Amino acid sequence: MSRNDPGHWFEAQPLWFKTAVFYEIHTRAFFDANGDGSGDFRGLNEKLDYLQWLGIDCIWLLPFFRSPLRDGGYDIADFFTIQNEYGTVDDVRDFIEAAHQRGIRVIADLVMNHTSSDHAWFQESRSSPDSPKRDWYVWSDSPHLYEDARIIFVDTETSNWTWDDQAGAYFWHRFFAHQPDLNYENPEVQEAMLEVLRFWLDLGMDGFRLDAVPYLYEVEGTNCENQPATHEYLKRVRAEIDANYPDRVLLAEANQWPADVVSYFGEGDGDECHMAFHFPVMPRMFMALRREEARPIYEILRQTPDIPRNCQWGLFLRNHDELTLEMVTDEERDYMYGEYAKDPRMKLNLGIRRRLAPLLDGGRDEMELMHAILFSLPGSPVLYYGDEIAMGDNVYLGDRDGVRTPMQWTGDRNGGFSRADFAQLYAPPLMDPVYGFQAVNVEAQLRTPTSLLRWLRRFISLRKEHPVFGLGTYEPLEPSNVRIFAHLRNYEDDLMLCVHNLARSAQAVELDLSQYKGRVPVEVFGRSRFPAIGDLPYLLTLAPRGFYWFQLTQPDD
Amino acid sequence: MTEIAYVDEAALQEWIVEQRWYGSKTREVAQVGIAEAVTLRDEGPRLVLCLVEARFGEGTHETYQVPLGMRPASEGWTDRVICEQDGMTVYDAFADGACGRELLHRMRSGSEETVEDGVLRFAWAESAGAGLGGTVDVRPVGVEQSNSSVVFGEALILKAFRRVEPGINPELELLRFLSAREFPNIAPLAGWYEYEGRLLDATLGILQEYVADARGGWELALDEIATRPEGFLQRVRALGEVTGDLHSALGADSSDAAFAPEEPSVESISLLTADVDEQIERIFLDLPETEAVAPIAGRGQDVRERLQAMSAIGAAGRVIRTHGDYHLGQTMLSDRGWVILDFEGEPARSLPERRRKRSPLRDVAGMLRSFSYVTAGARLLRGVDVPAEWETRAREAFLDGYFDRADAALLPPGEAPTQQLLSVFELEKAVYELRYELNNRPDWVGIPVAGIMRLLDDEDG
Repeated sequence: MSRNDPGHWFEAQPLWFKTAVFYEIHTRAFFDANGDGSGDFRGLNEKLDYLQWLGIDCIWLLPFFRSPLRDGGYDIADFFTIQNEYGTVDDVRDFIEAAHQRGIRVIADLVMNHTSSDHAWFQESRSSPDSPKRDWYVWSDSPHLYEDARIIFVDTETSNWTWDDQAGAYFWHRFFAHQPDLNYENPEVQEAMLEVLRFWLDLGMDGFRLDAVPYLYEVEGTNCENQPATHEYLKRVRAEIDANYPDRVLLAEANQWPADVVSYFGEGDGDECHMAFHFPVMPRMFMALRREEARPIYEILRQTPDIPRNCQWGLFLRNHDELTLEMVTDEERDYMYGEYAKDPRMKLNLGIRRRLAPLLDGGRDEMELMHAILFSLPGSPVLYYGDEIAMGDNVYLGDRDGVRTPMQWTGDRNGGFSRADFAQLYAPPLMDPVYGFQAVNVEAQLRTPTSLLRWLRRFISLRKEHPVFGLGTYEPLEPSNVRIFAHLRNYEDDLMLCVHNLARSAQAVELDLSQYKGRVPVEVFGRSRFPAIGDLPYLLTLAPRGFYWFQLTQPDD
Repeated sequence: MTEIAYVDEAALQEWIVEQRWYGSKTREVAQVGIAEAVTLRDEGPRLVLCLVEARFGEGTHETYQVPLGMRPASEGWTDRVICEQDGMTVYDAFADGACGRELLHRMRSGSEETVEDGVLRFAWAESAGAGLGGTVDVRPVGVEQSNSSVVFGEALILKAFRRVEPGINPELELLRFLSAREFPNIAPLAGWYEYEGRLLDATLGILQEYVADARGGWELALDEIATRPEGFLQRVRALGEVTGDLHSALGADSSDAAFAPEEPSVESISLLTADVDEQIERIFLDLPETEAVAPIAGRGQDVRERLQAMSAIGAAGRVIRTHGDYHLGQTMLSDRGWVILDFEGEPARSLPERRRKRSPLRDVAGMLRSFSYVTAGARLLRGVDVPAEWETRAREAFLDGYFDRADAALLPPGEAPTQQLLSVFELEKAVYELRYELNNRPDWVGIPVAGIMRLLDDEDG
């Protein structure tokens, strides 16, 4: 077992991800250790103390592979080297070991579906029809194949086919025209990608967030998403992991309806991905908050099928992408745009490119409530760097760069992110009076006991004290007061009652808890005991946007 | 799970949950099974070193080291018996001198057993004399909380870890480092054995020289506070010197990545302060209304403000590997002076956490708190009338000796920030003690309360 192998540091615990709190980091944006204006792996190393203090269990790194960066690194030009500014592969190895020493795991964002057009494979492929790599990508003489496949980046792309002069043919791409799709019909491609996975797993990586998995295979007459062959390949990847890399995790990014996403967990006991993001629940939480009613959340959870017991949902409020509105109805989308993207610059593709704090108008109660709901749902929460201090965004930066600005560590120059000259920074840190680094930074919030950062840290540790949130059942209560989102979570003898008030006004709610008569609710933050549950409906009053989490304890506890 | 039935798993389960070192008494164990088994000896008696997994509910588990001894039932072996099976008595072999001898023999010869999923490796320390541990008497020591010990001819002692955690044990790491550098105030490392495999990589046991004719620091202090309080202050100064030497040695090698002194992260003091602040907030949230806590009752905000003031430190010095759980109970006084024991770190913390580099002042704070305890202990346990100001003088004597010897480059630059950082660590410790005593020993609550009061009253100093 190598020093970097997770087993060197962690006891085998195949379901660790079910009770983990994830934290998503953009390496470029986190901390610049060498003063060149871009974040790097040595910078990540220096901030491990902070991450350990925060209490997160697993870091998800956005793509750090060599890339021309025309799509934030999701355009990979070489899977085996890393972006120059980020350091070297040895730096990655050191970082993983240092993280493991602190009990933190690391997963990498990996794009299997496509490469950058700069990738040597593509250069070789386009060079000649006789190239041995010709068949590694999807070429066609006609742009009229697979016409039922939707265009995802509707703001920039007009077709999924682009003509390549050098090749004298069209190539297939589900995303940007500089991101040709790999041809997974070709066994060499299948094997090459497994090699990539092995390389990073051997380096100690704890797994992957698999970008854009639904699009690996194209089939005429279909929408070219979620094809059976795609699932076959994922099963092969999983078998490789199970056989040689215990305790690692595959997290699928499949922006689909829950009923379709569950297929990525595989069949039976779950033989594809260990985790998948639950995309549709996220816009509905924001919708519920604006409408001040719980229905959208109850509804989407009702439509969420059961998943195998060794699988888990990944849940998030915001991430590095736009707040995607693909998985809502047109009407709901209009509503969301109207409420959350009043400035048209805030829209991108089918979504809203803003961070959590500005979306919630900086409301502290709203931020706490949204985190409470997120943490109470069945799944593992994924936090986005900077949201723990309520960082803002910069809508004047292009594409999704506005939500990928430098982490704000201090009120000093460049927000403590880098010692480089301001002009050298990869992107300007936020400097506006509300969200700028002088007002919002880690140092100040560490010193302030009532800060969001300090609150969230306590909240993370509270969630981790109760494995029920990762492992337990979910039972909606749906009280008659529609402004209240209330549900029960149960695992072994831990029974948790979560009650959230979505309204801007104080609310009273009566909950039918008759089956738990005699139990005593203990509020988990302050450990105050509430009156025992009796024959009558249990009456609670909640402050505007307030919430309670109770452990329903046996009277003799 | 290994298929070979060395022992009935139901019987093993029944036995293991009854052991003092079994950690999860309150949790319902789903299954107990042997995850790895290495035969050390085929007969007379048969010895199989097992790693036993106790599995709980969904996916979590703990791993324990259980060497199984097997003798024909006709021999009538009765010590630490697990079950009778197929005419054999199966028992915990740490009770059997034959097991100790086998382990010792293997360490001395550096043997290695490769099994299906891993390797069991025995090693003899380079720094250890080859003559140690010939044919000797073997004496199993009473079972401790988390370890089992075997003494060999009053010359060597084996400490076997029962609860096995992944990663190198800090005690092995520190003993190896200090023994290689011939640090005089420890019981030098003689050997160890470890498992490396698919299940986990872990240190299983450590063999070190046995410190004979020595007296435990805690008991010694209790005795001498009563009989020769002034004389003991001399010993305290010497302990400060030894502690300073220890830190200087631990921070002296930049070539070994596991020990090289490091600059703490920019946030380190803020993170520490935020952490302590939260512990203070939590404990004052439900402080009982008893006489013992009356001096600090309602003063939570004052304590937090005092912490803020103390934590305004520019540079925190450097971080190094430390003892990690330093108090009088971890020391012995022998004819060659103070000996520092037990480098395992705080048992409640995870192994990676215990291996973390920290400011050496954290150890110093631990010992200063120990002086509070032993002063109060002399009154509570022995009814001794401790001379006024004895604790203050003990602190001074210890710090005198310490600062005399500790490498100043490891400490914050200047006396004031050093004192401040030390106070933050003392407060952290006192708050932890307060929680512990409130839950476990109400009679002792006054000790941490006095410690917190001292830090509040220091405001002008």
